[in-house]
Amino acid sequence: MLKFIAKRLGSAIGVLFAASLLLYILVINSGDPLKDLRESNADNREYLMAQRIEYMELDQPWYLRYWDWLTGVSKCFVGQCDLGRNINGVEVSGLLANAAASTLRLVLIATVIAAILGIAIGVLTAVRQYSGLDYIVTFLTFLFFSLPVFWAAVLLKEYLAIGFNDWIASPDISLGTSILIGIVLGLIMQMFLAGSLKRRALTFVAVAIFVPLVLQYSLWLNFYRFPQMGPAIVVVLTLLVALSATSMTAGLKEKRVLYPALITVVLVLAAYYATFYLMSEPNTWILLGGLILAVAIPALVGRLMGGRLRKNAASVAMVTGFVGAALTVIDHIFRAWPGFLDNKGRPISTIGSSTANFEGGYWDHFLDNGTQLLLPTILLAIISLASYSRYTRSSMLEVQQQDYIRTARSKGLSERTVIFRHAFRNAMIPIATIAAFDFAGLIGGAVITERVFGWKGMGEMFATGLDHVDANPVMAFFLVTGTAAIIFNLLADIVYAMLDPRIRV
Amino acid sequence: MSNTNDNLPQNLTSVAEVEDAKLARQSEDSKSQGRIVIGRFVKHKLAMTSSVILVFITIFAFSSVGWGVIPGWWDKSYLDAGAVINGGKPTLSLVPTWLGGEGIRWGENPFGQDSIGKDYFALVMTGTQKSIIIGVVVGLVSTFLGAVIGAVAGYFRGWVDEVLMRITDLFIVIPLLVLAAVLGQIAGASSGSIITLAFVLGLVTWTGLARLVRGEILSLREREYVAAAQAMGSKTSRVIFKHLLPNTIGVIVVNATFAIAGAILLESSLSYLGFGVQPPESSLGLLISQYQNAFTSRPWLFWWPGMIIVAIALSVNFLGDGLRDAFDPRHTGKKRRRRAGLFALPTRKEKP
Amino acid sequence: MSTEAAENYALSFTDLKVTFETAGPDVHAVKGLSLAVRPGEVVALVGESGSGKSVTSTAAMGLLPENAYITGEARVGNVNVVGLDQGKMRKMRATDIAMVFQEPMTALNPVLTIERQLTEALELHDVAYGKEATDRAIELLTLVGIPDPAKRIKQYPHQFSGGQRQRIVIAMAISCDPKVIIADEPTTALDVTVQAEILDLLRELKDRLNTGILLITHNMGVVADMADQVAVMFQGNLVETGDVQQVLLHPQHEYTQRLLSSVPRLSPVIIDENAPRSEPTVPAERELVLEAKDLVLEYNMRGKIFRAVENVSFDVAKGEVLGIVGESGSGKSTIAKAVLGLLPVAAGTLAVKGHNLPKLSTRQARAVRKDIGVIFQDPAASLNPRFPIGDCITEPMVVHKVGNKASRTKRALELLDAVKLPRNVINRYPHELSGGQRQRICIARALTMNPELLIADEPTSALDVSVQAVVLEMLQDLQRDFNFACLFVSHDLAVVDMLADSVVVMQNGKAVEQGRVDTVLHAPTHDYTRRLLAAAPVPDPIEQAVRRDAWRILNSTK
Repeated sequence: MLKFIAKRLGSAIGVLFAASLLLYILVINSGDPLKDLRESNADNREYLMAQRIEYMELDQPWYLRYWDWLTGVSKCFVGQCDLGRNINGVEVSGLLANAAASTLRLVLIATVIAAILGIAIGVLTAVRQYSGLDYIVTFLTFLFFSLPVFWAAVLLKEYLAIGFNDWIASPDISLGTSILIGIVLGLIMQMFLAGSLKRRALTFVAVAIFVPLVLQYSLWLNFYRFPQMGPAIVVVLTLLVALSATSMTAGLKEKRVLYPALITVVLVLAAYYATFYLMSEPNTWILLGGLILAVAIPALVGRLMGGRLRKNAASVAMVTGFVGAALTVIDHIFRAWPGFLDNKGRPISTIGSSTANFEGGYWDHFLDNGTQLLLPTILLAIISLASYSRYTRSSMLEVQQQDYIRTARSKGLSERTVIFRHAFRNAMIPIATIAAFDFAGLIGGAVITERVFGWKGMGEMFATGLDHVDANPVMAFFLVTGTAAIIFNLLADIVYAMLDPRIRV
Repeated sequence: MSNTNDNLPQNLTSVAEVEDAKLARQSEDSKSQGRIVIGRFVKHKLAMTSSVILVFITIFAFSSVGWGVIPGWWDKSYLDAGAVINGGKPTLSLVPTWLGGEGIRWGENPFGQDSIGKDYFALVMTGTQKSIIIGVVVGLVSTFLGAVIGAVAGYFRGWVDEVLMRITDLFIVIPLLVLAAVLGQIAGASSGSIITLAFVLGLVTWTGLARLVRGEILSLREREYVAAAQAMGSKTSRVIFKHLLPNTIGVIVVNATFAIAGAILLESSLSYLGFGVQPPESSLGLLISQYQNAFTSRPWLFWWPGMIIVAIALSVNFLGDGLRDAFDPRHTGKKRRRRAGLFALPTRKEKP
Repeated sequence: MSTEAAENYALSFTDLKVTFETAGPDVHAVKGLSLAVRPGEVVALVGESGSGKSVTSTAAMGLLPENAYITGEARVGNVNVVGLDQGKMRKMRATDIAMVFQEPMTALNPVLTIERQLTEALELHDVAYGKEATDRAIELLTLVGIPDPAKRIKQYPHQFSGGQRQRIVIAMAISCDPKVIIADEPTTALDVTVQAEILDLLRELKDRLNTGILLITHNMGVVADMADQVAVMFQGNLVETGDVQQVLLHPQHEYTQRLLSSVPRLSPVIIDENAPRSEPTVPAERELVLEAKDLVLEYNMRGKIFRAVENVSFDVAKGEVLGIVGESGSGKSTIAKAVLGLLPVAAGTLAVKGHNLPKLSTRQARAVRKDIGVIFQDPAASLNPRFPIGDCITEPMVVHKVGNKASRTKRALELLDAVKLPRNVINRYPHELSGGQRQRICIARALTMNPELLIADEPTSALDVSVQAVVLEMLQDLQRDFNFACLFVSHDLAVVDMLADSVVVMQNGKAVEQGRVDTVLHAPTHDYTRRLLAAAPVPDPIEQAVRRDAWRILNSTK
């Protein structure tokens, strides 16, 4: 296993080196960096040209310039990166820090969202092959495959961001609109939940009646400007999750699973009050630690009380704990929302990666970053989601034809167990390889997205650098994205080896 | 294998006899695989609709503004500025008067005019032409390279295969768009013609198909008819081009269509970023890039090129999907019935 | 059938009919079948492809696809499972009815440990949990004869051999003490010695657990070895049922009679060391066509050299048939590959008509290939699906630039006559033909250039018994007419016995015994040949009982 990963890492670094050489040669030959100066009529033209030649070391042959760049990069290992200067003589490494952080955050969040949702949708459509849901999802994935990113971005800006910002100023949904929303949601829900005709009709009617009522009630509460949840709703929702998770895995009569889940609900309530002031002004580490505890403690309770069903009990309790923690966080975000709206009247931004001169607490900054990231993330995720769902679907369909699935069915396992325990893991093996390519595609997508949304990120650095035939920023872009791609690729390899014992042992 | 023909002679007592009887009863016309595939494709409604739309767009784009020295039926040029009439609004109307519209009308500037009064219909049609040419040229170049390199790597394995895999790895560290942008910049600086751009894009988009063809060839070369061909002394070129590649035609054709859609989108992205088609030439991506901020004031400048890109890419993708279904031997045209859903109650019922 | 009687059955079918709805006309796979299996009894359901035997078993498991329309009754114990609710059917699987599948290499989930796959059924059906379930699983593995089960239970399927995997599948099937086990071709994918072991295991388990077994097979030898009752199916109909001795020794229905007469049989073996040996009468003038001396063949697996054949020598003269027998991995097909030039010769000589293949230039080798014809195992894969039959047959002429279009067509028609296929097949495509017909096309293609040497690599292993008989008979006739030399590779000793003049027995890349067929196969001296011969079952229950005992003795002394 270690040998396998080391081998993959070795070849990846070799490829990185070869790619850097190729890209360097291509970039410096892509045009004339002095073109604008040659055509200019400025008095100090000669001086400017001499200066630029010095900055960019244009008097040196290409291999020396590349060697300089390579030695500069190798200093990164001792913490003194020297990535050269750009066309205006500014140190590239200085520019890089901010740009890299915002771009990588964008790409990582989009990847995670796309992978999770895409795989879930892929499994669902594979299980319901040739259903209405399958056809609609297939159509949508093809539509997403065919959308030019920048064109879709303008539409998102126009309809989602500007539309929402106008609406949030004084939220209102007319009765007719809410009934329409109810009907549409009802149609979607019956498609997702499926089942017999009677069951579908029931789902549809329930949703179509319930949703308009909730919408009108929430308007009456002015929920969209002053959202609220409070401990009572947190606990009720957590309890519902605990009960449904128990009934789905072991049945409500199974005390060994039910009790740990109920204890977790009580713990969630206790934690809600205990952490209230801490959570009003937390930091990222507190949130992360809290999340780990919120999963680990219920898992322990489940293991201790579950007896022979300890695996079941632990997972039910973990899910309950996680949902409880998530609801608690959402409750605090709700509390911060009115203040945030006062600070930033048009919440969803269409330009830039963060609001300039924004003042506020942790949650305010959290919301600010979130709303800035929202549109680009949706855009990137949608495009990559299409390919994940498509690949997962075909991989699941392929796996379901296999003999061992028939063996699993012949043991009397339920369809759900057959799909999740037997089919899913096998279907994920090829997806791990595709993820690496998809990540590279997302970085390419980020270049466009940053241009559309006016981010000062890596993509912008690449595009302006290439435009000016300025190798150093382009190479800095490549260094960061290439390294990220290799790390991601390595993770994919590890997942691959974890999924497939034939590689591991 | 199955016993469909129940009206076979009943007195047969051997499988060999049953099979020979079935063969003798088969109708005279026999279908090659190609004809079966075409038959399945023609029945694929979505794919056929897409083909019609594609043919329509192509004929429209080439006949309206003409191509090269051949003049088209549209009299305005995409290069001529003119007076802006009525704020440059489109004169095209599809709503008949009796429905309260302005009547079905084509008008002077059906797609409107841009800010300096150029006819937008001519601009969009020229851009559409460019997109189609680029898509087809990239599709041909990348398919040719991908199929040949993939076949060679799959057949000979060894170092050719190793090199192919390393080149594919290259696209994990340099995203396709980035490499295409750099090459597009070089192509733009050297000649500026779209054919050069298309060739350059073809040079970087073949790896996906090469991997797929390689995989197909790796499994096909273990087939016994290939071993038989080798054993009877066929030349390697005959084995590859007569026995192996024709049997990967499904993968190749399907992916060629996807490559065309991908190339059209890639070109529009590059033009949007400024590394593709350069003004004063017109391209759909370039038009969107130029007029993205006109969305609120003159939305038609944004909608027309975008809609046409989506229409072309979507049609090509559906066409490819239809072809995939037609080539897939497991897809016999019949729908399998639905299995019980993931979270659903069992609905399976035996017929009475 | 009265209900009281039915209660004694582990599994019973009453007038079962299965129809598949397809895009074309409906397919009637089973046309009214009545059959019963008592506890502790083995009922063999015998038939060739298309007989509906596997559909019957899948119907009993409730695992048929949704386009199947089932009528009649299939009772597991007292429950009719036709139209049974899926939830109830699931509860019955493993506890009441279990299944052993044909292909052990793919029947186990590759990403889960054996422990997980064994214990999940136990936990699901409330048999045992946690540690207890693991203990029970180890016990099961011991029962089916997996060595060191406590350690190996943590391993994954790919770490076991094919025979061991089939044992694990059997352990899985018996884990919840089912009333009946359906064994669907349980030994077809296995070597003959492994087959004998697995059959022994099944017989022992059935007696110990008093389980009924519905054995689905096409192999008459397996039937003779295992079954108490036999039911013969043909084209969806049950044509004959009865007790094993009666059906196999005195078949009533014409189909059964023809089926049994199609099975190639081994003549009795003499294991008497002192028996007089018939001295082979070597024809005075043998015109050698193929000659191998100290042949060594190697595979290069990513830099690791794997020696597949070591120091094997043999020769084949004009008009002779040399059989090469052995189990999988013995290197028998590797030799065929080397003769065909698909694998380089590592050491030794391999001469065709006196030309040593490794020493030839590419062009000379091509000229030699002209005189070699080949038939492979898999009829589905041995014809290019894009070529019409005529082109398939005349391809050697195209490759060697012989004749023009008209003469090639003429040759193709002649050959179609020779393999007794209608002439209008010439414009059809391979997918329109059945496996046996395709194999006849392969024979025609092999004979196109009037070869002096024919290489047949398991040419009938993928075919039904009666089709195999047709193809073998055809090969024999053609060999007599054209008088070519033939290298016949097979795992089936009976087929080699019937066809070959002399034989090479291979084990792990070495020739353990070789000589005239009547010597090697009827008075073997090497232990391995004896075990191989003893393990091959014959379609005669009385004789097979004797052979089985002989096999046990041989096997216990190995």
